[in-house]
Amino acid sequence: MSSAVIFPAQPEQILKGLGKLWTSLGEEEKQHGKPTVLRACAMTLIVATDEADRGFCASQTISELMREHPSRGIVLSVSDRAEKSLEARVLAQCWKPFGKAQQICCEQIEITARPESWPNVGPTLIGLTAADLPVIFWCRHQGALNASATDDQKAGLEAVMNIATKMIVDTSSLDPQWAFDLLARWQAQGRLVADLEWTRLTVWREPLAHIFDNTARVNNFSKFHTVEIAHTGEYPAPSVLYVAGWLSGPYRAHVKFNKEEGYGAGIHRITLRSDAETIEFERSSPDCMTLRSTNGRERKYSYEEAGPAALMTEELSVLGPDAAFSAAFRRAQELVRELR
Amino acid sequence: MSALVQPLPEVNPLQDTLRFARRVPPCAVVIFGASGDLSKRKLLPSLYRLFYERRISPNFAVIGSSRTPMSDDRFRGVMKESVSNFLEDAPFDEDVWKSFAQSLFYVPGDLNNPASYDDLRDKLDAVEKSHQTAGNVLFYLSTQPSHYAEAILELGQHNLNHGTGWRRVIIEKPFGHDLDSARKLNDEIHKVFDESEVYRIDHYLGKETVQNILAFRFGNSMFEPLWNRRYVDHVQITAAESIGVEGRGAYYQEAGALRDMIQNHLSQVMATVAMEPPSVFDSTNVRDERAKLLRSVRVMKPEDVSTHAVAGQYGPGKVGGQDLPGFRQEPSVDRDSQTDTYAAVTFLIDNWRWAGVPFYVRTGKRLPKRVTDIAIQFKAPPLGLFTQETKTGPREVRPNLLVVRIQPEEGISLRFLSKSPGSGMRVRPVSMDFNYGSSFGERTPTAYETLLVDAMAGDPTLYTRQDMVEASWQIVQPILDVWAHSRFEFPNYAAGTWGPRTSDEMLARNGHVWRIP
Repeated sequence: MSSAVIFPAQPEQILKGLGKLWTSLGEEEKQHGKPTVLRACAMTLIVATDEADRGFCASQTISELMREHPSRGIVLSVSDRAEKSLEARVLAQCWKPFGKAQQICCEQIEITARPESWPNVGPTLIGLTAADLPVIFWCRHQGALNASATDDQKAGLEAVMNIATKMIVDTSSLDPQWAFDLLARWQAQGRLVADLEWTRLTVWREPLAHIFDNTARVNNFSKFHTVEIAHTGEYPAPSVLYVAGWLSGPYRAHVKFNKEEGYGAGIHRITLRSDAETIEFERSSPDCMTLRSTNGRERKYSYEEAGPAALMTEELSVLGPDAAFSAAFRRAQELVRELR
Repeated sequence: MSALVQPLPEVNPLQDTLRFARRVPPCAVVIFGASGDLSKRKLLPSLYRLFYERRISPNFAVIGSSRTPMSDDRFRGVMKESVSNFLEDAPFDEDVWKSFAQSLFYVPGDLNNPASYDDLRDKLDAVEKSHQTAGNVLFYLSTQPSHYAEAILELGQHNLNHGTGWRRVIIEKPFGHDLDSARKLNDEIHKVFDESEVYRIDHYLGKETVQNILAFRFGNSMFEPLWNRRYVDHVQITAAESIGVEGRGAYYQEAGALRDMIQNHLSQVMATVAMEPPSVFDSTNVRDERAKLLRSVRVMKPEDVSTHAVAGQYGPGKVGGQDLPGFRQEPSVDRDSQTDTYAAVTFLIDNWRWAGVPFYVRTGKRLPKRVTDIAIQFKAPPLGLFTQETKTGPREVRPNLLVVRIQPEEGISLRFLSKSPGSGMRVRPVSMDFNYGSSFGERTPTAYETLLVDAMAGDPTLYTRQDMVEASWQIVQPILDVWAHSRFEFPNYAAGTWGPRTSDEMLARNGHVWRIP
């Protein structure tokens, strides 16, 4: 269930609109005579989108995310089709857990801004964040992340980043060198940055890490002198570089990248070589991964392409610094330089 | 003096605790009683689910053992059917099953037959090599309780309690049928396993909400200052079941509600609610505090039993237009059975925090609904400024009630008074709710998944220790002794009602009433 009202993008008016929305939901409760709506909020989630992102349904994704991460969602759409420089509407996203009478509801605010107004959106957002809770900024506005970003886009991005506790981007469509420089610059400014290209790797990383829980194996980890990553696509994507950085980082193993045909974009196969053993982890079919070792073991894992909601669900669970990502990122920066 | 310096095992450099589920070491799990209900309904589905979620090591194996002759393949087939039938809130994946099934083995054998243990050792040796289980073995006793001691002694006789890796044993309840038998069983077990290797399972402690009691109490500063006799009027712990004995009449007739629920599950829940904060959150300190609390529970004198404990047994009733049989009409139950299908006890805790605060604990079968919860009833404000309008006129209210719901809908709710909108100072109770399922949308692991992973990881925090088991027997033993020599006028409550009238009277003597959960 959701309902919507359009407002000028003034924080006070938007908050008043939210208040009215909750009052109307409360009316429904009164009619039913018992609590029917539970308001939930654990963070403010700001999602910035642009024209190129029109296929993305922010409301749908936020409603999927709210099951694990209830938030006050603010969707900021930057579009030159916007009639006014800044306008907003409020709505409630609700879902009813299976078999339960009560709905769980989260607030959502949609702000539409003309490109030239984006730099002015900062004060509006500051007034709208939920008090005392983290503010997460998910930037899906690829134009602002590109090398060709306009001054307005840069200023707009900066305005939102300045109020965010954590910034989440997806570098999959960016040039890795450019993307890594951008992330490094933000990190140097003391910002907490996450990349969904890293999040995509959990499905690969977890089974691989598991192998080395075995004491005998972990003692031999340093002997794996070569990491080979077979990838689809012309050049190694950021995820390919991250996984190479993650695996080769601890003992500076030699890294090789090979272009191969495979299922989907990114990593096709990861190979770890030592003198005594070779471990291969391959996407062997569209929905299956196979882990093989020259010591005779083979194991299959299901593979499911994670959509934006699944990736964000994982990423929103990590609200503080991510040491594994930072280490892999440092090494990936070296690798991308070596590739050039 | 010279010292041998052993290199510390290296830390896995690929580990990522922020994103990966907790790791458990490689091991083989040996299930005695593998063709039984518990294995089919709980253990194998839990192990499959853990495998599916990659929460157990790829280097693991399950060796089932029971008297039924079966090949490995037949065992895999039977378990596949069970897992696909009994998997809770999770999909069954054929590919993952194929991989999982490669780690399933079966050794037919009788617990009384020494040769069975030789076969088991051979199989363990084989999987240690083929599955690299590092010699770690977790034995799970899912057999008739009368076979526990025998099985453990045989494991010792065949030197299966030692190996290249660790050896642990999980023992299902009931742990003894009274204090003496529990002590005797402990003595037998300790001939073979050290206490640190013994994991007595109480699946209630593995439930998320029961664990959450600790987080709620000791992770927040606002409740703990109120958690004492100064502010708490009384506590009610209810574990109600709407079903009857469901074909377990023969077992239940020997056990009864007090033994089946209060001695173990509910006394552990009470200990979790009432224990002192541990100085460190680790297994030893948490269990020390639980044990200390159980030792503080006043042991009743025989003459106090009639006023502090109530036994009940359900008679025939009608629910939803359906006729329900009484306990004595259930299959395999004696026509004049004196077994308690309902038990309610007033426990008093003789310590500084809880002196004088009654802890009412009740459990029963064929009650109106399935519900387990803990209600902390706070005292009324010292001055009754506000009254609540009721049909019979204004009434002073005791508004503050904190309810921890364990099942079916895990969560916590806090009731407090609020002014009703409008003119005049009319108040009404409102409730602040935290719902586990909706606040954390992710799937909650079942108690068995939690406890199996803990045992593999060597974390006994949620398992009961010898002193805890003995202390909980100590507090119910006087009741069992008196009831054993009593002749009750059963049945004393109809199926589908909230238990016998005498249970209400027990609370009424203190000016209290049972909640309707």
